[in-house]
Amino acid sequence: MRQILYLVQKEFRQIFRDKAMLRIIFIVPLIQILVLGNAITTDVKNIKIVIQDQDKTPYSRELILQFVHCKYFKTIGFEDNYTNLSDCLASGKANLAIVIPKHFQRHIVLNKKPDVQILVDGVDGNYAGVALGYATDILQKYQERLISSTPYLGFYAKNIHRVEKAPMFWYNPNLESKPYIVPGLIAILLLIITMFLTSMGIVREKEIGTLEQLMVTPIRSYQLVLGKVIPFSILGIVVINIAMGFIYLIFGIAVKGSLLFMVFESLIFIISTLGLGIFISTISETQQQALFMAWFTMICFILLSGFFFPIANMPYVIQKITLLNPLRYFIIILREIYLKGTSIKDLIPETLSLVAFGACLFIAAIIRFRKKIG
Amino acid sequence: MMLPIISVKNFSKSFGNIKAVADLNLDVEKGELFGLIGPDGAGKTTTIRTLVTLIPPDSGQLFVNNLDVSKHLREIRSITGYMPQRFSLYPDLSVNQNLNFFANLFEVPKKEIPERKKRLFQFSNLEPFSKRLAGRLSGGMKQKLALSCTLIHNPLVLILDEPTTGVDPVSRNEFWIILKELKSEGVTILVSTPYMDEALKCDRIAIMHEGSILAQGKPDALTGRIENNIYKLTGIDLINHIDSIAKMPDIISVQSFGNSLHLTFPKNIPVEKIIEDIKQILKQNFILKQTEPSIEDLFIALVEGKNHNGK
Repeated sequence: MRQILYLVQKEFRQIFRDKAMLRIIFIVPLIQILVLGNAITTDVKNIKIVIQDQDKTPYSRELILQFVHCKYFKTIGFEDNYTNLSDCLASGKANLAIVIPKHFQRHIVLNKKPDVQILVDGVDGNYAGVALGYATDILQKYQERLISSTPYLGFYAKNIHRVEKAPMFWYNPNLESKPYIVPGLIAILLLIITMFLTSMGIVREKEIGTLEQLMVTPIRSYQLVLGKVIPFSILGIVVINIAMGFIYLIFGIAVKGSLLFMVFESLIFIISTLGLGIFISTISETQQQALFMAWFTMICFILLSGFFFPIANMPYVIQKITLLNPLRYFIIILREIYLKGTSIKDLIPETLSLVAFGACLFIAAIIRFRKKIG
Repeated sequence: MMLPIISVKNFSKSFGNIKAVADLNLDVEKGELFGLIGPDGAGKTTTIRTLVTLIPPDSGQLFVNNLDVSKHLREIRSITGYMPQRFSLYPDLSVNQNLNFFANLFEVPKKEIPERKKRLFQFSNLEPFSKRLAGRLSGGMKQKLALSCTLIHNPLVLILDEPTTGVDPVSRNEFWIILKELKSEGVTILVSTPYMDEALKCDRIAIMHEGSILAQGKPDALTGRIENNIYKLTGIDLINHIDSIAKMPDIISVQSFGNSLHLTFPKNIPVEKIIEDIKQILKQNFILKQTEPSIEDLFIALVEGKNHNGK
């Protein structure tokens, strides 16, 4: 016990002596939250539209007004020439084009079916889908007004049992992406601090030769590992708490659930990342190698975690692969606690998965560490 | 049965296809200052690292204080002090913090730490620098700090791997004085070095070459074993004539020692004949004097003898 204590003390002394490292540990998260929190946004706003009105009648102008007044759209111009219109989409000047064909008004008045063409730049499928959704919403509202304002139709319409949708989004009513992204940022912060610093810390001792010096002391390899792992866990927990403070100050997003529960889940998650850190240290001889390995692992974890891309949208096989990613569970847990205030009884499967991964990774890492070094 | 404090029997170790040490036998008695002498790649470090339980032996038995290195790792670690070839203390901790850290890892009783540090400071003279970061010490001081850290737990056996490699001559000398002092306090010391002149400072030595021991015993007894005459040749511009001197019929080997040459030739050849031969090569004055064979002469004689037998 005494030996672990002195290993921890030594580690903290080294951390606090290295001013450059200290700055990295505390300032980088802040920048990350500021920049990424604002930059990573899946919100679809300011959709640029270009309109071609071939009809030029009161009805068509009425419809155009709906688009112009909608806050999600920004009308960048009107085009009479169809080629110019498609150029606008091709060059990216517009994301969406609306074509109101000739006889639009006549078709309405004659009870024929009026057509409206919507062209969407589909390169970013997610964006295109949301933009189209907004556009169809406007068309639907226009139609409803049309129906109720038509004299005899309006009378019938009142008596028809039509189902009206009244959607309401819970937990994140404005469908903003910040509340969704921010918990993920905390998870990644914790991943970086624990996995990177642990692997680099051990490999650094290998590089300067102190690990060999430690090996000839009577300390056991588990004590050595604990001496490395405890300081970085403490550091990780402290840093995410600071990060949550910043998030509250900058974005006004506070943790809905229990902070204590969040720290508890973080500690469970850390077991996996520390295990990975130790494992990386056993396969690396230099800090560069460790950094590269940690970086590679981190990118895979992030891409397959549902942090940016919803897992449900991934191909079946990839979806199954994400089940092997501890970060996936932790991001789910953090989002639940952060946005909904979910309690442990609803997060048991995720928590258990984290425990299982943590145990496997950590034990495997220790076995390898003992074999290589102990 | 009571074994010597360090006992190595039929020890072999390979790394892949490279045989680092082959069938090595070695005994170090309690209280001895024992030197492992040999050039780089002789297997000194492999032997030492196996003795301090860092690598397991392929075959053979190694004992430190009657403890088997493959069974009693922790016990051996707590009674030995090991200083690896590379200086390896925490450069970002101070002298004091390094000493405290290792004292605590070796479970030195808390109350005893200040007294032990004081004693170590007496020989290392590091007390005025106790607050300085280890990374900011000079090479010689780093060496002394490393030694202090390996001595903080009062080890029974001190094992040093090339402690004076890369250290300036003054610090090297000081270092050997410290080793002598430690020896007088009863510590058994096993030290490896590529410097042949340091061998004379040891009680006993083992000369290693290509993974095996060529000879072992007291330094002067070993050099006395040389059967050939060794003469020291001094003169001007000798370096340019090494090849022609080496080609002389009776010469076994020629080695340059600074400005002079050491010539080895069989005892039955009269010196006068050698002088005549040299006169023909060197058209100038020279001095040829019989000399005490050095460890280096011994090493060369042993290696050549081994190669000769091998052929």
